Amino acid sequence: MSGNAIRVIVLMTAAMVLSACAADLKENVIVVLPEEDGSAGAIVVDDGTSSVVLDKPLAAVQINDRGEAEPVAVADQQVSEIFGQALAAQPLKPSKFVLYFNEGTDALTEESRQAFEAVFEDIKRRPSYEIWVIGHTDTVDDPAYNQRLSLQRAMAIRDMLVFRGIYGAVISVAGRGEIDLAVPTPDRTEEPLNRRVEITVR
Amino acid sequence: MTRWILITALCLFAVPAWTERAWADRAGTVKTVSGEAFLERGGEQLPAGVGDEVMVDDVIVTGADGAMGVTFDDNTRFAAGPDTRIAVESFRFNSDSMEGDFLANISQGTVTVDSGDIARGSADAMKVRTPSAILGVRGTRFALRVGAE
Repeated sequence: MSGNAIRVIVLMTAAMVLSACAADLKENVIVVLPEEDGSAGAIVVDDGTSSVVLDKPLAAVQINDRGEAEPVAVADQQVSEIFGQALAAQPLKPSKFVLYFNEGTDALTEESRQAFEAVFEDIKRRPSYEIWVIGHTDTVDDPAYNQRLSLQRAMAIRDMLVFRGIYGAVISVAGRGEIDLAVPTPDRTEEPLNRRVEITVR
Repeated sequence: MTRWILITALCLFAVPAWTERAWADRAGTVKTVSGEAFLERGGEQLPAGVGDEVMVDDVIVTGADGAMGVTFDDNTRFAAGPDTRIAVESFRFNSDSMEGDFLANISQGTVTVDSGDIARGSADAMKVRTPSAILGVRGTRFALRVGAE
């Protein structure tokens, strides 16, 4: 047989095998999708009899005729085929902007002033938007004090946004004190990177 | 005169209760819409528009050519393909403490999910139920297809 004929037969066989694999997926399928950086979190699937942990990109189960979740291989292309319309309807990912303050003042650092301006560019991308302003502290003071301080800082940033013309009703504020550290530290530890306000636009 | 003072006072006390209840029932916002897309609420099918509030107990519904994307108040994103039904059974999120819980019931269709702060907070805080399984979500993107019964 000629080289070309062999290539054609191999390609056709491969295509048949691949399409047979696509057709083999059952109706009920659950698949982990990779994040932008290729990493994946985890989901635990409980089918009533046992639990399966899916914690890698494209880790998947399908529900068989006995109602059990069984591991199954799912290809990238199958994900696009099955979930294409849902994927196209995904909302824009929320954007986060982190602001830091000059030591001991309420004045933003130079980089933070630029981050603040980026909020206004981001808003333009979104047909409908909401803004969350969340204050954080380091672990120096006690938790209750830090919660109040972080909320005050968030409110100060909200006032800056409103002053620049953002409608107050779309802005929400929260103070997380020391419960959501950017840099893990022991208690009573100064850490400028933890003393921040995060603006989320979604 | 006293009657009007009493009525005004009663109304003023009632207002915080109204706003508190409205805030507590919120779950998210519709961000994308195409084709037949509805929010089923109180037995009615309301056509969904970008910017609409999604409330607890709403059912996200899409028709044969529909799709809809919703961002929830903890930054979780759901995207529904055609012929999909997602019931928001419960949603609670405290932005200060990051505590919360979220239960969505997907009875049919195709859905992609990017989990947000509730799933980040604790292991079993965010769950998705389908007719055949319950998923515990621990911070990830995933997709699922549920066959109509």
